[in-house]
Amino acid sequence: MIKLILDRLRCEGHGLCEEVAAQLLHIDDDGYAAIDVVEINDAALATARAAARVCPVAALKLVDDEAS
Amino acid sequence: MTSVPKSGIDLWADDVLVDPYPAYRALRELGEVVYLTHSKLYALTGYDVIKDALADPTRFSSAQGIGFNDGVNQALKGTSLASDPPEHTQLRAALSENLTPRALRGLSEQIKADAQALVARLVKQPSFDAIDEIARRFPIGVVADLVGFQGEARANMLRWGQAAMEVIGPMNRRTAENFPIAGELYGYCSQITQEALTPGSVGWGVFEAEKKGLVTEGAARHIIHQYLGAGLDTTLAAIGNIIALFGRFPDEFAKVREDLSLVPSAFNEVLRYYSPVHVWSRVATQDVEIGGMKIPGGSRIAVILGAGNHDPLHYKNPEVFDVTRNPIDHLSFGYGPHGCAGQGLARMEGAAIIEAFAIQIKSFRIGDVARVPSNVTVSFDTVPVLELEAV
Repeated sequence: MIKLILDRLRCEGHGLCEEVAAQLLHIDDDGYAAIDVVEINDAALATARAAARVCPVAALKLVDDEAS
Repeated sequence: MTSVPKSGIDLWADDVLVDPYPAYRALRELGEVVYLTHSKLYALTGYDVIKDALADPTRFSSAQGIGFNDGVNQALKGTSLASDPPEHTQLRAALSENLTPRALRGLSEQIKADAQALVARLVKQPSFDAIDEIARRFPIGVVADLVGFQGEARANMLRWGQAAMEVIGPMNRRTAENFPIAGELYGYCSQITQEALTPGSVGWGVFEAEKKGLVTEGAARHIIHQYLGAGLDTTLAAIGNIIALFGRFPDEFAKVREDLSLVPSAFNEVLRYYSPVHVWSRVATQDVEIGGMKIPGGSRIAVILGAGNHDPLHYKNPEVFDVTRNPIDHLSFGYGPHGCAGQGLARMEGAAIIEAFAIQIKSFRIGDVARVPSNVTVSFDTVPVLELEAV
């Protein structure tokens, strides 16, 4: 299972991820990203990749969690 | 393993600095990694290799400095710019805490109103220089108000900010001439006191945080130094580029006028099309293989952000200025742990100027634009706005 993971220490709330993937995450009331959909299915994969790619501080990543 | 292609192009030659894109293309066409024989640097020229390197501080380190001469790299020791995780993480947090979009939330309306007021004054004139009247003026006001500067500092901010970027270049005449001016900025910041700053400003708040032990002792002055060093010349370039590009491509300006939702996309495209900071540096901590080519450990690397932003493998027709493109993943703010800490503020400033132009100006023409060579920041020195027709 591919998971969308946020490094909370690194997130600065620039909000670009929300612009490209509002169906997967949002900027919360504290002003930082909060992931709504952790487990990424095939249909959401391209959007999740886009979110990870646009994060300017590389706080989002996709990990393949099959092993664990 | 194939050998790294070599080029005699000097990134800091005057003719390259005033029009760098033909040189970037020539380098990119040689390879995504090119050895620059003149400067003895390994250059990264392609979008993907640049992004991968910026995301990987373990192999592409900032700890030996991000500049191209030993003096500046020594001077930057111990700052967030010139460190790697884990040391970097806390330094970065102290620097960026007051610059996150959340922290700046209250400032956005003021910046928009300031931009509208500035443009409202200018549209009454038949012509003006957009660099003097907007690009040099607007970011100084924003940063001075934010940090809480008054008096002497305000008058010197532009010179100081330009010198702080210039000295990041290789040890050429421009770097040598600017070290004393960058030193004035350092001297000023090393003596600044909380009382000199406007109560309630971000600069004042950094001193409060230091008093409470929330940032390490002495960090407040470093942070203020970085706000000034990084926040001016870069934004000056970006704002000048907005007006130069709208003047050169009036049809694209018309699209923004007709649809203000294009403002963020237009600013991203301005930043992609002309990168304010064209080159930055890292050091390879170990032998690194890229596309079958080896960069030896210990090599200094030139990360050519401007070349990556025009990589046709990533951006279709990169030479076309298209305000609908929305290249949200451009490299002009860098990327990764060292990605520009002030990008939220820069976006606010850029969007405010674009919006004010789009709302108040029907059309304009630009006269002959000019650049002066500068080591790190590629900006226009003059952009005459002519035949302006207000709404």
